Amino acid sequence: MPYAHPEYLVDTEWVANHLTDANVRIIESDEDPLLYPMGHIAGAVQVDWFSTLQHPVRRDFVSKEQFAEMCAKLGIANDTTVVFYGDKSNWFACYALWLFEYYGHKNVKIMNGGRAKWEQEKRPLVRETPSYARTTYSAKDADKSIRAFRDEVLAHSNAKKALVDVRSPKEYSGEMLHMPNYPQEGATRGGHIPAAVSIPWSQAVNEADATFKTTEELVAIYEGKNIKADGDVIAYCRIGERSSLTWFVLKYLLGYPNVKNYDGSWTEWGNLVDAPIEK
Amino acid sequence: MSLPTKLQEIVDDFAGMSREEKIETLIGYAESLPALPERFAEERAKMEPIPECMTPVFLFGEKQDDGGVTFHFDIPPQSPTVQGLACILASGLNGSKPEEILAVPADFFAPMNLEEAISGQRLNGFRGVLAHMKQTAVNLIEK
Repeated sequence: MPYAHPEYLVDTEWVANHLTDANVRIIESDEDPLLYPMGHIAGAVQVDWFSTLQHPVRRDFVSKEQFAEMCAKLGIANDTTVVFYGDKSNWFACYALWLFEYYGHKNVKIMNGGRAKWEQEKRPLVRETPSYARTTYSAKDADKSIRAFRDEVLAHSNAKKALVDVRSPKEYSGEMLHMPNYPQEGATRGGHIPAAVSIPWSQAVNEADATFKTTEELVAIYEGKNIKADGDVIAYCRIGERSSLTWFVLKYLLGYPNVKNYDGSWTEWGNLVDAPIEK
Repeated sequence: MSLPTKLQEIVDDFAGMSREEKIETLIGYAESLPALPERFAEERAKMEPIPECMTPVFLFGEKQDDGGVTFHFDIPPQSPTVQGLACILASGLNGSKPEEILAVPADFFAPMNLEEAISGQRLNGFRGVLAHMKQTAVNLIEK
């Protein structure tokens, strides 16, 4: 059974054949910021989830204007096809794709398997940073239909609608408050949002080559936990990156019409006064 | 309290670098992190990797005859930032006495201004690895 929206995925071979396509911009988005300067796909530009995509002061993303400026500088026009890839099974690639959709960019794709698969296939990586002629880019107003805020998450939880906690089982149970050595991503309380089911993000990808699992496998994983296409779904994790991968899987591989990523995630909820928590 | 001389030199070097130089130098450290010596393989196999998203960092400390400590790491090449930070710590602290290692302030790297090159959140790895090294040093004092 094919994915619901196969046009949102390309394979490594497709990317290798479009390296010099002027209508395509390849973006590397990694957890580890040194991977890109150490070697990337020829012609790819780097977008860092933290320093490029986050607001410099507030806990928020860059503004619509800042987003447009970033695209213009990277030589991305409104009709450019943007292909994302990265480390950690494309977590941060999905995060960047989600933000591009948030500001209305059409034609976004994930390179299935990300850096891991490209490297496994011994495809070339280069160190030269490309530069592209500046474009004129106009970003659209933020599309709030793919982003959940805390009040909405509370109403969603109270109504017992589908909520997916994609963190590790120990974070879900409240045994672990934050990842060891990530103190700034901690929370004062542990547990999960009431009504949330635990489906760790990593279940959606094949460990061997970081590609996504098949439609049949994904259906079994999500429907098996009662996360179905006919309802509204909200996914969350700790800071919203892992859950953007789950958001991508539900929305484009399985075709669920109403899926949101709660980027506030546990670092907001677990610190929020009066928020209900289940252990 | 002053830092061990080698670590202080590395801190001073970074303080004077441009953003690009910092990235290049960090890559240099990442690429020069020695592989884990074979004699630790058995012990390494018994250790549990940390699940999910963190970089699995394995660290071993050995006390030398003169009382100095040598650290060895096993960190996957998919995490060059953590490799680079660990290599800086090993380069700066190998040979130091446990007491000197314990005296290194947790924020010793602030003057390096690494935030320019890698976001502040990634510097948690620095604190984490240093804390791990201190714990190892304490264990070696007790031995």
